[in-house]
Parts: sequence; C-alpha cells; structure tokens
Amino acid sequence: MKKKITAYLLLTAIAVVMIYPLLWLIGASFKSNDEIFSSVWFMPKHFDFSVYRSAWETVTPYSMGHYFLNTFCIIIPKTVFAVLSSVLVAYGFARFDFPMKRMWFSLLMGSMFMPAIVTAMPLYLLWSRLGVLDTYIPLTLPSLFAAEGMFVFMLIQFMKGVPKEFDEAARLDGCGALKTLFYVLIPCIRPVIVSISVFTFLWTMNDFLTPLINISSVEKYPLSLALRLSSDSTGNGYEQCKIIAMSVIGLIPSAAVFAAAQKKFISGITAGGLTG
Amino acid sequence: MKKRTYNNPVGVGKYTGLLLITPFIAGFLLFTLYPFAASFLLGLTDYDGVHPPQFIGFENYRELLADSEMHDAALVTIKYTLILVPLKLIISLLAAMLLNLEVRGIGIYRTAFYVPSILGANLAVVIMWQFLFTSGGLVNQLIGLTGADAVSWYGDSRYALFTIILLRLWEFGSAMVLFLNALRDVPKEYYDAAKVDGCGGVRSFFAITLPMLKNVIFLNLVLQTIAAMQEFNAPYMLTGGGPMRSTYTIGMMIYNEMFRYHDAGTANAVSWLLFLFITAAVLILFRLTGRNREDSI
Amino acid sequence: MKDKLLKLAAFCCAVTLSACGGRTNKTVTAPDGKLDPCTIRFSWWGGDDRHEATLEAIKLWNSRHPEIVITPEYGGWDGWTEKTAAQIGGGTAPDIMQINYDWLVTLSPDGKGFYDLDRLADQLDLSGFDEDVLSFGRVDGLLNAVTVSVCGRGPFYNSQTYESLGASFPETWDDLLALGETMRGSDKYPIDLDIQSGFTAWYLSVVYIQQKTGRNLITMDGELGFTVEDIEAALDFYKSLEDSHAVRTVKEHTDQDGNSALYQSSEFISGRVAGVLEWGSSVGKYEMVLPEGALKAGPLLADESGNNSGWMIKPSLLYAISANTEHPDEAAAFMDFMLNDSECAEILGTTRGIPSSEYAEKSLENSEKLEGLVLENHDMLEAADTVTISPYMELDRMKEFYNTAIEKVSYGTEDTHTAAQEMYDAMSSYLEKIRK
Repeated sequence: MKKKITAYLLLTAIAVVMIYPLLWLIGASFKSNDEIFSSVWFMPKHFDFSVYRSAWETVTPYSMGHYFLNTFCIIIPKTVFAVLSSVLVAYGFARFDFPMKRMWFSLLMGSMFMPAIVTAMPLYLLWSRLGVLDTYIPLTLPSLFAAEGMFVFMLIQFMKGVPKEFDEAARLDGCGALKTLFYVLIPCIRPVIVSISVFTFLWTMNDFLTPLINISSVEKYPLSLALRLSSDSTGNGYEQCKIIAMSVIGLIPSAAVFAAAQKKFISGITAGGLTG
Repeated sequence: MKKRTYNNPVGVGKYTGLLLITPFIAGFLLFTLYPFAASFLLGLTDYDGVHPPQFIGFENYRELLADSEMHDAALVTIKYTLILVPLKLIISLLAAMLLNLEVRGIGIYRTAFYVPSILGANLAVVIMWQFLFTSGGLVNQLIGLTGADAVSWYGDSRYALFTIILLRLWEFGSAMVLFLNALRDVPKEYYDAAKVDGCGGVRSFFAITLPMLKNVIFLNLVLQTIAAMQEFNAPYMLTGGGPMRSTYTIGMMIYNEMFRYHDAGTANAVSWLLFLFITAAVLILFRLTGRNREDSI
Repeated sequence: MKDKLLKLAAFCCAVTLSACGGRTNKTVTAPDGKLDPCTIRFSWWGGDDRHEATLEAIKLWNSRHPEIVITPEYGGWDGWTEKTAAQIGGGTAPDIMQINYDWLVTLSPDGKGFYDLDRLADQLDLSGFDEDVLSFGRVDGLLNAVTVSVCGRGPFYNSQTYESLGASFPETWDDLLALGETMRGSDKYPIDLDIQSGFTAWYLSVVYIQQKTGRNLITMDGELGFTVEDIEAALDFYKSLEDSHAVRTVKEHTDQDGNSALYQSSEFISGRVAGVLEWGSSVGKYEMVLPEGALKAGPLLADESGNNSGWMIKPSLLYAISANTEHPDEAAAFMDFMLNDSECAEILGTTRGIPSSEYAEKSLENSEKLEGLVLENHDMLEAADTVTISPYMELDRMKEFYNTAIEKVSYGTEDTHTAAQEMYDAMSSYLEKIRK
C-alpha cells in the first residue's frame, strides 16, 4: 500500500512537470499578448471562448475542419503505407539471407544519416519533373517504399527478439513465408507496430517543411501549415491568443491518438519478444 | 570469387528475402539514390541556387576543414551528443519502468509523460524555457534558495548548451515508448526467482532487466545518436546558436548555409561531412556493443 | 558489375545536371498587349490583417475581371523564403510574388531572375512612383520589382517610463548617453539594441557613423563604403552605449530575454527597457503589449548641430513577376491594380505599409486611413536626409558578420580594433564573392 502511494506521488509529480506547458498553453489562449509574455502562471485573468470560434473559422475561406480533413488525407494513407512496407522489408532483413544483404542493410542505415533539408531540394525538383507538385503524392508516396529507414531498423530489432523456433513451428504446420509473418511475427511485435503508426501520425501532424515546400494551394494546406498562416513576425503584430487557440485545437487529435494507443504499447503476447 | 552459401530455412531460396525487401530497393533507387547523388555532386560545386553550379572539385571540403565555424559546430555537436544521449536513455528507461507498473489510471500518466514530445517545437515550449531559465527565472530562484549564485543559463557560453540538452531530455517520449514496447517481455517469474534468491530491486535491475533489454537499448542508442547529431530545431528556437556559437550545431550550420546564406555547395558538403560523422558514430556503436553488422540484421 | 555502376552514376549525373540547369534554358513569354482569360497565381506572406485585406482585394478584382482568375497562395513568414527559393529554383514560381528586398540579390543577382517590368508598361502604370523609389527594384538596369512601400527604422519610446522619471526623449546622441547614466540609478534603460536577425545594435551604430562621415556602409552596388576606421568607430560607439547604461549588454540581454524578440520580453512589457528601434511599418506589435498610447515615436537622433542625416530607408516589400510566367500582361494588369487602384488601396489600407504609389497614397489620405505611429515615422524619415539601404546590407551572411563583431566586443573577447579588422576583411571578401 505504502509502495503504491509512493508510486502515485512520484507519477503525479512528474506528470505535472510534463503537462504544465500544455496547461499554460490552454490558459494562454485566453490571454492578451502582454499577459502571455509576462507570466508563467497558467490561469488567465478572464475567459473568452469566442477566440476559439474565430480560431476555428480562420481568416482563410476554409475552417480548421477543412485543414483537419486535408491532414487526415495525408496521414491515413501514409500510416498504412509506412507500416505495410516497413514490416515486409524488416521481415526480409530479420529472417532471410540473400545476395548483397549487407550492402542493402548498410544503405538502409545510411539513408537515415542524411539531414532531410539537403535532400528536400533535389526531391522537390524530382516531384516537379513528375508534375505532382501541389498534390499529396510527394507527402505520401515515399512511405509506400519503406522510406522511413528508422522504422525498418526498429522492426528488425524487435523481430530478432522473437525466437526463431516460432517460425520453425509455423513452417512445420505448413505456413509459407507470408503466413508465418502474419500469424507468428506480427502478433508478437504488435506493440511496436502500434508505436510506428503512432509515430507516423504524430510526426506527420507536426511536419512543416515538407508540405510547405510541396503544397502551394491554400485549399490543400494540411493543419501544420494552416497553424502558421497568421503568424508574421515581420509584420505589425497579431493577437497571439488566436494562434495559440488554433494550436490547442491542433493538439487534440495527437493527444487523443496517443491516449488511445498507449494501452497497446504494452499488452500483447507475453512470450517471445526482445529476450536475448 | 568465393561461392557464398545462404543461411535460410529449409525450402527457402536466396531470393525470398530479396523479394521482401523490394519496396526498399525500389524506394532507394527512386527517392534516395538521386537526392544523395545530387547532393554529393552539388557538394563539389559552387552553387548559389540561381547561377548554374560551377564544378570546383573538393574545394568546399578543403575550405571546411580549415574553417573555424565548422570546427566549432563539430565540437558542439559531439559534446551535445555525448552528454544528451546517455542521459536520455537513462531517463526514458526509468520513466518506462515507472509506467510499466500495473496501477489504475496508468494510461493517463503514460499520455502525460508523452505530452512534451507531442508539443515538439510549439511556442509554449520556447516561452516556458524562457520563464525557467532567464536570469530571474524559476530555476535561478530555486538555486537562490540554496544560497548559491544565479546561473547565467542563456548568456554564458558554458551553460547555454545545457538549456537545449534539458529541453531534449524533457522530450524523452519516443525512446520511452520503445522501452515500454520491450519491457513487457521480461517475464515476471524472473523477478520472483530473483527475489527468492535474495536479490534487491537494484540488483535484479542490473542482473535481469538490463540484459533482457539489450536489443532495445542498442536500438535507442543508435536512433538517439543519429537524432542528436542532426539536431537543428532546439538551438534554432531557443538560442539561435549563440552565445559565441556555443550552441551552434552542424545541423544549424547546414540550414544557415542552405537557406540563409544561399550557399548550396557548402551546405551539401557539410551534410556529407555530417553523414560521415554519423556513419563513424554508428559503426563505433556497433563495434562497442559487440555486434558486427551481420549479427544485428 | 562495374559497368552497370558506371552507367548508373552517369545517369544520376545527367538527371542532376538537367534538373539544376532546368532554370537557365527556360523561355521568357513576351507580352502580347492584350488581356486574355487565364488563371494567375499570386503569392504573399503576412499576418491575418494582410491576408484578409488581400483576399478582399482579389474579390474586387474578380468582380471587374471575372475572366482573369487569381489564385492566392499565402502563409506566415516562417519558411516563406525557403519555399520561394525552392519554387524559383524549380521554375515553378507563382506569376506574381510579394518579395523581400534582399531577395533581389539572392534570387536575381543578374537581373534575370524576375520578369523585366519595363516591358510591361502597357499594363503597368508606374507614373505614380518617384524614380528613386523605382530604382530600388532595378538590378543591372532591369526593373525586377516594384516597391510597394518604403519604410525605415526610428526610435520609439515607452512614454510612461520616461514620464515617471521626468525625462524627455533623447534628441542627440549625447542625450542618449546621458539618459543611460540617469536611468542607471533606477535600473532602467532608455532603449534596446540586439544582435538578433534585425541586428539593431549594428544598425544604430551605422546610422551614427553615416551621419558623422557622410559615407555609407555599403553602396547600392555592393561595395564597402566604410573604412576599417569607420567600422572601429562604430563598434566603439556601440561599446560606449553599453558602458553608459544606454542599452543592456549582449549578455544581459540574452540572460533576460533568451532568444525572443523584444515585444515578447517581460523587461519591455514591464517598462524597464523603455525604448526600441523598429521599422515604422511593424511597430504595431510593440504598441500592442504596452498600455494604450504609451508607445510614442521619438525624434531621429542628431548631432549637436541638429544634423539628423544618416538614417536609412528601404522598400519594405516589393512585387515581382516570375520570369517564367506565361501570362505577363495579365499579371502586370493585376499588379497595377494592387499598386495603384484607389478602391483597392482603400481595402488594403496600410497592411503593407504606407503605399509608395502616389495614387494609392492619395486614396488613403482621402479616406483618412493614414494615422498613428506608422505615419509619424514615415513623415519624420521623409523630412530627413536619408540614406537608402543597400540590398547587400541585409544579406544574412552580412548580418552574421555584424552580430559576431558586436557580440565579441560586448563580451570583451576582442577589442574593437581587432573586431573591426576581422569584420572588414570578412565583409570585403564576401561582397567580392557575391558581386561577381
């Protein structure tokens, strides 16, 4: 009992430190500019919810709902593509031997080492040549080809933890390579697959540079671009609270997705996994 | 040429694996090879993004190797990585163990612990850090209570890097999630057995938990090292690289050369140097953890 | 095997070079003198007020020319330079762009990066502009862009702090130094200078030297106008401001504000730091965080004899037409509307500063839309003998040189003599490199 109370106290103390900025952000959406920059206390002097309505409506002809939809049009295919392709590729690396395997693995690792901003320009030219600028293809298509080397690397590490005897047993039961993957490996590493989906979701939500460069019609802007539509540090100033209100609304899906997924991070088949 | 034998399960040919990784191979040829080649070639040119690139051989690299800006950035990046990565691994592992407890409402805590990582580069984070670390900020007030002198977090080149490290330590979410994914695999019976043998919590942590987690520790080590060496956003937001370049990372240098100074040739050359640095770091990690590449695949 | 690799490498080179060279072998569409139905893209960055007004203006245009559809492309300032650079590099730029002054140097160093607007005189009426103002947009004699508005920095003060101390706004440089000493006792500061992207610390020092010597820091063609001694004197002047408590030291500034702008600093909001050097067209954000009416424009600092020359102006924004546009006539007609049309000017107000076009300015005067600090600052600079900022002065690499020198002098890691020499060498070799 005493142990449990200590655990709760510790958890709560850390949790407060972790979420305080979020609380502050919500409070700040009701503050004036001078109040925002002069107080660390999250509670605003007064509440005026109309800021949320104008934030939702935005100055553009579209509401935030429109930008949410755009974002989901990118995120959903991207997540599906990323998971499918990464799992297949990781399975190939983790369980099979093939010609030039070391070379391909080195290339996979190497593709993670180059900072994204240098490859952004050549890719932009490529998309421009293919005539697909201002569509969601540049944002989603690479995921179909296991473009996130990091996910493949993660999956390989976790797949290696699943004892090979499991595969062997499945094979004796007459399962082929793909069946083994779906019936044996995937259930064992489900938590990682959930994590990868969540990461794709959250990172795509926050990604700013790729859509900024590739999307030019305001109508097609994802949320991350819409959130910065109004902030012009070079200009005559703006009501900070409205931008903050937009970003609070924008955080809701991310927080919700994480909260919904977190249970799956742990539960699963207890056998196998990263032992050894 | 020596004939290679392929170590596959009975009945599986050497092309099954190749077939499975086709998406990667195709993607590599389509979307990675070309930007990499382009970037390498541009690194050999003098290119301002407007005039046609002029081929100048390895001139950019020669200049960089003698450039004090490059030296400073490399040192800052190395220092940053060496301090941040181990601390972040420790913190995220401890947090994951805490969140692995089976108590009611643990889901709320898990979400709360991840909130900073969702916030990422949000304005709130920048302002919060200002309230914490500026001269009259909360941290200095706490330090003041102990009677010590206030620390000049932002303005002193000895400390500025720590404000950034602290920010990234606070955003430990993704490493924590990976640890959580792995922790369930440590069977409870092991701990029970250890208890019977008279092992305390600390000893069973070192004797059971750590060895069982070695794959995921390695995974996080590699991923966090790569991320730290590419760091750009945190110094860009919090310090702008200063004071006196004490937080000026290679990532910031690439950004500046590329977008602010319009020197794409140098930007690409720096990127390739960074690429080599990271490759070296990752190879060292593979070596240190006793994995050759064959084994880790 | 080796053969295949070689072929692969050759292919990559070909693709890269053809992609990089893509921009150079484009053809420029000649104007045909008439307006055809088409769709043209117009891009700008800004905040809500500018977006709203511009969208409204486009609506007005559509009601007059329904056959020429304008597609707006707009966003915040963050990343806009990168986006535009990518578009121009890739040959996919919008037909009309709102551009920044230094982009003329970075995106069109030879004057061919944008459409030559002199060719579009049929549609684009430039009679409302002073030749001086038009020359801001010329590169190598080619009219690359038209100035939307002109602005300059001037001092603005928190009058509440000044009143509480019984002080009046400084009129001369000596006044400012003396004010610093007066405010030392109450730990307040008469003004603030920084080494962020606006490089105000160096800016004010340049004004001081330009006023004193009559030489300009950088000429319009990108030659250094200052001597090493001038630079050293400028750095000495900055140091004297710090020493006399007229501004916070760089370290204090960083410790207190981190990397944030002054209008986001509690030191400014609380009135402890009681002044700012800012563009008249964007001082609104400082006005907003102080009590209403507290921020007032101060006189341009002068020497003992009342000479207030040396202060600087520049185009705050310009409009340019893409060199690749297929609809030059229509783009020019829309640009003319945005610049000169009186009804449009009324809608746009001062969301892009006080218009340089005489016609637009008249329209705003008639509808009494001109007022406030923007106007005060504008009039003050108009009355003074100003210097035009060279587009080379605001290049980011140059800013880095200024700020590094100021930082070293402020932290005391270098004396002004050494710092001046280093800065001079760095600037002259860089300018030589990019002028070629």
